[in-house]
Amino acid sequence: MTAIQRWRIALVLLGLVLLSIGGITLLDQVPPARYPGIALWLLGALILHDGIGAMAVFGVSVLARRAQRIPLPVVLIVQGAAAIVVIVVVLVLPEIVKRAIGTANPSILPLDYIVNLALFCAGVVTAAGVAIVAYLLVTRRSARVRQTGSAVR
Amino acid sequence: MYLKWRVQRILHQFRHALATPSRNPRMAVVLGRLLAIAFLLCFGTGLYSHFLQDPLPWMTFLTRPSWLYQVTQGIHITSGIACFPLIFAKLYSVFPELFQTPPVRSFPHLLERASIALFVAASLVQITIGLLNTYQFYSLFPFSFRHTHFVLSFVVIGSLAIHIGVKLPIIARYWRKRDAYDEAGVLVVHEQDPDAEFEQYDELRRLTGKRQSAGVTGRIFEWIDRAPAPRAPQPVATSRRGFLVTIAAAAAALVVFTAGQSFRLFDATNLFAPRKNGTGPQSLPVNRTAKAADVIDAAMSPNWTLTVSNGDTSRSFSYAQLAAMPQYEAVLPIACVEGWSQYALWRGLRVKELMAMVDAPAGADIRVRSLQTNSMYGVTTMGPEFVADDLTLVALQLNGEVLDIDHGYPARIIAPARPGVLQTKWLSALEVIG
Repeated sequence: MTAIQRWRIALVLLGLVLLSIGGITLLDQVPPARYPGIALWLLGALILHDGIGAMAVFGVSVLARRAQRIPLPVVLIVQGAAAIVVIVVVLVLPEIVKRAIGTANPSILPLDYIVNLALFCAGVVTAAGVAIVAYLLVTRRSARVRQTGSAVR
Repeated sequence: MYLKWRVQRILHQFRHALATPSRNPRMAVVLGRLLAIAFLLCFGTGLYSHFLQDPLPWMTFLTRPSWLYQVTQGIHITSGIACFPLIFAKLYSVFPELFQTPPVRSFPHLLERASIALFVAASLVQITIGLLNTYQFYSLFPFSFRHTHFVLSFVVIGSLAIHIGVKLPIIARYWRKRDAYDEAGVLVVHEQDPDAEFEQYDELRRLTGKRQSAGVTGRIFEWIDRAPAPRAPQPVATSRRGFLVTIAAAAAALVVFTAGQSFRLFDATNLFAPRKNGTGPQSLPVNRTAKAADVIDAAMSPNWTLTVSNGDTSRSFSYAQLAAMPQYEAVLPIACVEGWSQYALWRGLRVKELMAMVDAPAGADIRVRSLQTNSMYGVTTMGPEFVADDLTLVALQLNGEVLDIDHGYPARIIAPARPGVLQTKWLSALEVIG
């Protein structure tokens, strides 16, 4: 038996022990009436991520691939900026909703999350714009240097 | 007709269309390592917090440094938030695996896929309910947060261990960059990828003669394949780096703009955390108000007393009597299980001196009772290591003022390195246990 095989067995056994602890704790501490709610959340997470979120990302990336006249680094900067904004929006949006519904006391969610999110998005767009301009300037200068070099030769 | 082979062809077409430079085994290993570290940090700090609240009989805890719990719980929440971009990236890098053909090859393969489904679902739910809990968005939960979060922590780490065990040969093969990429930066492939080419000669074509590009779905996938993801070495490397930079930037942004609720270093950049240092009564956040705890009448009553007892020996002290005793000051953080924390100057009596007035034995646990009766934290237990600590106070003042009612007037517990839920407010009694 190789070292990797031994590690595999040990890890799977460890995993089964931990899963058993989780299962026993579930049976012991969580009323059965709560199980459907937990199962619904687990199933909903898979559907939301794999069925909707990941497919939406796939669709956007397929469209982005068709922008072949645009230099790849520029496409990557735009895609990256969009991904960062989407991730942060996904995390901040529930805060905005909860704040609108009302919190248990004013010290919970005390900030203006809409304004802060708008500032953040503006910052990301600005940073992406600066990065794109910097890239285009650098590549054009490199191209000019190459052209000048070949003319001299 | 030939439904099985039609499904197999669509799955192949999906996998082919999903191929990008950032979806490769090496990327999955790199992201998996980071995610495993973040999960283990969350698990370790979460267990520490859990056992502080529900200790096993033999357990004893450190009371120094006084900021210990502030740091462990700050790490718990902050690394939990950082898990979002990491898990999104990890799932992105392995997304084509969802469309494996055939979907189930054997019973062990079915178990493997089921364990991954459980792992993914439990991980997503775990970090999501953890995040929602930081601002008490309980109305979304058809379950108890605390118990479900505890159960899922074992499910996540258990299925993580199984997942690592199952994938260990691939992990070992792509663990080091120099083994994963050749000199041109191209991934070293150990097996021929059947999804590398779109117009693959498959079983459906053998049986019916139909090409991959036939039919509606075939034409859609062919349209997608006309603009494939980068395949030449240089664009592939650029695309991969761009992906990693994006994930690093997203994780850094979330940490920098939320960690201010836990770490003063990031207070100035606190844009998105559910708590902000300096907000709330007496410039300190509150988790549960006196109104929510339904203690206003009892706490404001002129007849309020703090009862300290050891078996049959019992003494009761009015507020004026407590205020007339020797007072001590301590600069300690309130560090909440929800991740926020803030230092304050507390002034009050040492718990150990109060307990000595009823001849409490050294090494005894004490029961701490609050006026609130509608909370599981209305009665808590304090271990001897906290009772004996000079910094553990029955606080009467906060930042030089009488405690605000929402901070526990007339008296509350403040102790070093303990969760905020155990810093009992609106005290009514301290009792030696046993």
